[in-house]
Amino acid sequence: MSSRSGGAIPLRPFGKHADVSVSILGMGGHHLGDAKDEQTAIALVREAVDGGITFFDNCWEYHRGKSEVLLGKGLKGHRTDVFLMTKVCTHGRDGSLAMQMLEESLNRLQTDHLDLWQAHGVGFENDPELFMRPGGAAEAMLKAREQGKVRFLGFTGHKDPAIHLSMLNTGFPFDAVQMPLNAFDATFHSFQAQVLPELNRRGVAALGMKPMSGHGEPIQNGALTAEEALRYAMSLPVTTTITGMEKPDILRQNLRIAQNHQPMSASEMRALEDRVKDVAADGHFELYKVSLKFDNPEARMAHGFPLDMESEEVKEMVTAVENTGHPYPEIPK
Amino acid sequence: MSSGANDKFTRREFVRGAAALTASAIAGGDSIVAAKNNATAQAAVPSSDRPVPKRPLGKTGVQVSALGVGGYHLGSTQDQQEANELVAKALDAGITFFDNAWDYHQGLSEERLGTALQGKRDQAFVMTKVCTHGRGRDVAMQMLEQSLRRLQTDHLDLWQIHEVIYYNDPDLIFRPGGAAEALLEAKKQGKVRFIGFTGHKDPAIHLRMLAHDFPFDTVQMPLNAFDATFRSFETQVVPEANKRGIAVLGMKSLGGSGEMVRHGAITAQEGLRYAMSLPIATTISGMDSIAVLEQNLEVARGFQPMPAADMAALRDRVRIYAADGRYELFKTTKKYDGDVGREQHHYPTPQKLPA
Repeated sequence: MSSRSGGAIPLRPFGKHADVSVSILGMGGHHLGDAKDEQTAIALVREAVDGGITFFDNCWEYHRGKSEVLLGKGLKGHRTDVFLMTKVCTHGRDGSLAMQMLEESLNRLQTDHLDLWQAHGVGFENDPELFMRPGGAAEAMLKAREQGKVRFLGFTGHKDPAIHLSMLNTGFPFDAVQMPLNAFDATFHSFQAQVLPELNRRGVAALGMKPMSGHGEPIQNGALTAEEALRYAMSLPVTTTITGMEKPDILRQNLRIAQNHQPMSASEMRALEDRVKDVAADGHFELYKVSLKFDNPEARMAHGFPLDMESEEVKEMVTAVENTGHPYPEIPK
Repeated sequence: MSSGANDKFTRREFVRGAAALTASAIAGGDSIVAAKNNATAQAAVPSSDRPVPKRPLGKTGVQVSALGVGGYHLGSTQDQQEANELVAKALDAGITFFDNAWDYHQGLSEERLGTALQGKRDQAFVMTKVCTHGRGRDVAMQMLEQSLRRLQTDHLDLWQIHEVIYYNDPDLIFRPGGAAEALLEAKKQGKVRFIGFTGHKDPAIHLRMLAHDFPFDTVQMPLNAFDATFRSFETQVVPEANKRGIAVLGMKSLGGSGEMVRHGAITAQEGLRYAMSLPIATTISGMDSIAVLEQNLEVARGFQPMPAADMAALRDRVRIYAADGRYELFKTTKKYDGDVGREQHHYPTPQKLPA
């Protein structure tokens, strides 16, 4: 941490790997690609590092590579100060594709290794079986770890606690699992109730995401404040809470909350859950658990699911990810 | 759904069904003779004369037809005359179970059924649903009186709480003064014989309702060949209800709007046969025309459940269409949620939400 001069954020151990610890606030990679320009994105990463964030999230397919490129530039000279994660987007396809994606991610991130490499967007009922199949992504993950290109392995998904549990039950040696965790999740289709205790029991690092429910809708709506939302998420038994910060004022707000973090008491947490319970109960603040809008076209195509442009959800999905449903550009061999 | 396109499938399906019956008769050991006799008996009786079979309604001691007429679609018939004809034909074929709800077509569905059942009330098992959506016992009792008036009867055979689809519904229903109290009171007053609840959303919510150990006689839920793969009521709720002796009422055998049929993922006949083959009391199907009733009756008359292996094969075949939930949008989107329910819960209307 030598090159850092700013504030400090509490650290927590990375699951059962007690020798590794990361900041309780992590910087989300998708929103980095939403920053108004490259200069802003680079400055955001540097200010985050300076403010005590060590955990950086990303993904091969965020903004079709732009998010990884921006993070790579922002972390120049700081690689050893941070814990770097990105995700692989095979969505059921072959392990050989995963290895190609890994090389591309390493190039864009300007590094020779990742601290954590996760299978992205596990959200369909048959994902565990596709992941584990002979020649699938699971094999690639183990190979990458053996080659020293990644230290730890994990998976992510925002859809269904039952699918997370069935991934865990494949027996694959996951070091980390990422999922939506917020005060609304406590009521609706709950990862907190169904998945988190299992991770804690197994010593798998729990990575929370969507503390503000994705795009901050309940905060704009007045159901709770950003501070309540983030404090709640960081007070859960998780390793870190990943949130998107595409503007300096959002980053500064979150740095301040994380630097001063005192976990909420159990009764404070219950009170907040109870307060938002009624608005949480239909899931309209957690549409990522239910709506096709939060699938992604690449994943749907890889699974052989159609992109029915008559469907409102599919139209919104395609708009949201700036992907018309055509395959991504070829991956260089 | 239009019947024209589906008529093509009927004969092919019938042939496939007959072949499966023969195969199971050969494989079946002791059941060979019975199956053969059954098949012979069936062959001797024209299909149009075989009634829709009856099944026990949980532990109530009452039997109901394995196919039920959905009330929403009854309100979509062209006019009262068509509704009368549909109900009369259904009764003739042995259908006794008639579904309805207080809020279907603002009462029109109940009125149509009430009129169609004039002079035939005692041949039918009449169910309707109460639409409190979190409101209390008094609202429920008022709705009951309205339903009885529209249905032109002094009692219901079954009264169910409609649309239990939000995670706070169990709390609202079982709070002091909540709708659960109305169910018991109406039963005590002799205005309803049996009580239950319905919902199309989430098995977890159904399980929470059941966990209250309330004396429900029935529970209604979406059951179809796709459900087995995606957020499944079949695997999570049916066994629990059966364990408790609570009768299961299936609905949405074709996904609610028949899209799975129109897109060619399954035929209407396969879909209905699968649903009716589950260990449940009845399958409620929406029929907004005589043609649809006739199509359903082709499956339901003299119904023999699919062999377990055929059911598994069908589940496997449609798994790829089922795994993303696009044919069961009632589980994931707000489109199938009633506006009144959303309003009572202070939720934005579907129009105000992103898809």
